[in-house]
Amino acid sequence: MTFIDDILNYDSLSIVGLQKNTGKTVSLNYVLDRLPVERKRIAVTSIGIDGETTDQVTRTQKPEIYLRQGMYFGTSEMHYRQKRIVSELIDVSDENTSLGRVVTAKALTGGKILLSGPSSSSGLKRWMKDMHRVGLDLVIIDGALSRMSLASPAVSQSMILATGAAYSTNMNTLVQQTAFVVDLIKIPLTSQENLDLLLPIEKGVWFKDSDGALHEIKTVSSLSQEIRFEGMDDCKTLYVAGALVDGFLEKVRKNPKLKSTELVVRDFTKIFVTPQQFRLFHKLGGTIHVLQKSKLIAVTVNPTSPLGVVLDSDTLCARLSEAIQLPVYDIMRLKDAEEKTANTICN
Amino acid sequence: MQLRDHIESPCGLRYVFEQLELQSGYTRRWMLDMPMMRTGEEIAQSYATLRQFVDFIGRVDTPYINTLQFRLQGLKDIRTTIKNLENKAVLDDIELFEVKHLAILAVDVAERLKAHEMDDAVKVPDLNEVITILDPDGLKMATFYVYDSYCQELRDLRAQMRQHPDKQEDLLLECAEIEEGVRRDLSQKLFGFAKALHEAQIALARIDMYLAKALQIKQLGLCFPTIAEGDVTHYEAMFHPQVKDALEMRKRAFQPVTLTFGQKPTLITGANMGGKTVVLKTLTLCQYLFQYGFGIPAQSADIAVKDEIFFCIGDEQSIEKGLSSFAAEMKNIDAVIKASRENRKIVALIDEPARTTNPTEGTALVSALVKVLRGDNVSLVMTTHYDIEPTDARCLRVKGFENGTMNYELVEVQDGEVPHEALNIAESLGIDSQWISEAREILTRANSIPLEKERRTLR
Repeated sequence: MTFIDDILNYDSLSIVGLQKNTGKTVSLNYVLDRLPVERKRIAVTSIGIDGETTDQVTRTQKPEIYLRQGMYFGTSEMHYRQKRIVSELIDVSDENTSLGRVVTAKALTGGKILLSGPSSSSGLKRWMKDMHRVGLDLVIIDGALSRMSLASPAVSQSMILATGAAYSTNMNTLVQQTAFVVDLIKIPLTSQENLDLLLPIEKGVWFKDSDGALHEIKTVSSLSQEIRFEGMDDCKTLYVAGALVDGFLEKVRKNPKLKSTELVVRDFTKIFVTPQQFRLFHKLGGTIHVLQKSKLIAVTVNPTSPLGVVLDSDTLCARLSEAIQLPVYDIMRLKDAEEKTANTICN
Repeated sequence: MQLRDHIESPCGLRYVFEQLELQSGYTRRWMLDMPMMRTGEEIAQSYATLRQFVDFIGRVDTPYINTLQFRLQGLKDIRTTIKNLENKAVLDDIELFEVKHLAILAVDVAERLKAHEMDDAVKVPDLNEVITILDPDGLKMATFYVYDSYCQELRDLRAQMRQHPDKQEDLLLECAEIEEGVRRDLSQKLFGFAKALHEAQIALARIDMYLAKALQIKQLGLCFPTIAEGDVTHYEAMFHPQVKDALEMRKRAFQPVTLTFGQKPTLITGANMGGKTVVLKTLTLCQYLFQYGFGIPAQSADIAVKDEIFFCIGDEQSIEKGLSSFAAEMKNIDAVIKASRENRKIVALIDEPARTTNPTEGTALVSALVKVLRGDNVSLVMTTHYDIEPTDARCLRVKGFENGTMNYELVEVQDGEVPHEALNIAESLGIDSQWISEAREILTRANSIPLEKERRTLR
């Protein structure tokens, strides 16, 4: 069954949309509908608010998240009170969001819910850890990339990326830009030694010398134009805990002392560079690694844009699949096809 | 005054507090809101309970304590929910969950303590009845929803819902009405338990606190103090945990200090870097720890109970407040004098008063301060570099440099003469030699006037 079996190899999955209306919720519902809930204990939450009945920005109809009986979910107090299913509370956390504390419950009937989970990466990680501790097999995160979220979907082991005409109605641009994001997701992990050293550091710019000693570079942030690489003749690894931007990457690339330096960022969501700068950096022999990485399981597309433009699904899937060397699915069509097959078998 | 008001005292109280292994955020907030104990009975009671906990962790195995601590992590602040119950409001699912969760936790923890004869150490109200109300199926699980067992009709509707997902929306509405009725009934049954729930929450916080304090006594090597009958406080080999840890990081050892003070003002003189300020810090810290019922960092301690604790040290925040360091200091000490006149028992620990002004007036101010704070209700310990008339006070001196190393021991001296070791110490620090030798020359010239005469003229 497509990529569903693949998901079961991991203990966490995030479903990430490149833009609103790229079919993220459709993909999530597709996955939730097909996971073997009888033999796997599954929990779902979201980064920030999600699951509104209509999209708050474009006012288009949004499909709701449909939970099956037996699934666990994490949402805010406010949305829990609005739930339209029968469910049993199993935890009320100290984790506060703008919509109240994050509560966790088990669905006793199937039904639609509003999801709004932890709003920070550390909160999300704690929630995931709690879920695994009480014996859940798979935690699914309804993630967001385009929104200003403090929580990174890269904390999950695996990922599904939703893209589509809402991101760009020009097929060339859509394929190129999606492929670029896929390139970022595929950036390899740094060494175990660096992971141990750098994971606890959540801000600043740091470098590691050949003795393995860590030094902080005095700067306001990596966004600063003022950044100078002084006293860094022996820089093995350069770590940017915050955002990686064009200006910084360019300075690293142009500095002869940093020619063989490994650049490390927290995860791919912290990279805000243009494809041109990124490719140039690689072409000139630069190395870039991450501290957190998710395995990209599949890419899904929604060929319809909220403004009504519809791209040709087959061409889009084929071209994107070729560009990223991964299977690409149009979930709506997939569902239709599966239903047809099911009907044929029944009839 | 609460712990919250004292925690930032520069004596290092926060350091000791932060080292407590508290399991619940609620315990932490509850402790910060605790008023300082001001009577011997209260303090004695608190230490008696703490002693029970120290015995308890000594006789049960570590996994048992770990499990108990893990359970206490589940202690949440549900004051708002309890308030709603007191106000006879209908609780919603989340609030009912909170009540059930607390009740199950309280019963569980109480049983764990009872198994080791600890049930009289902290009394936890019996909330079994609350569990019965919120657990109709007797599952003993800390989860909640409006169970099917509360109402047959609800059970039927939900069964229909599972069979006919298409009719779910309508059935949900019907269910909602019944559920609300069940919640009203449940809330009504729970109204009478508001007080017990409140008490249980505090009892669990106390257990969390006593466990953490008991473990801290073991970890930091703290002692149980005795409560002094009179005004005299005595410490045998006291130490400052924070300074000790900092020294250990640099592979150096803390030299414990033995000290008695209380009736007469006590003056501590001694060379620079002789640890005078650390002594005052430690005294202040120990006094706070005593009046908040913590273990005391000393081999033994006999401590007098006070109404108020004053620690006056060069205040770095004074510049922010727009006061000169002298003005800030004078105001702080003024508060001590005012309090001493209100007939409250106070302990005042003052570090080098009037240090920033000229030595002539400084000496006069300090001598006068000793006289002013001589009252029966004041226990004064003060450090100074000035020569003070010894008749009004007991004088202690840091032993100082011996064979190139600092001996921090305090010895009683008959005269109040301060040691003149500043130049030697500066030299040992490798300070510019020209500066030091110039100073030495000036001193030799000045010393041609007999020192005693100079002192007499100062007075």
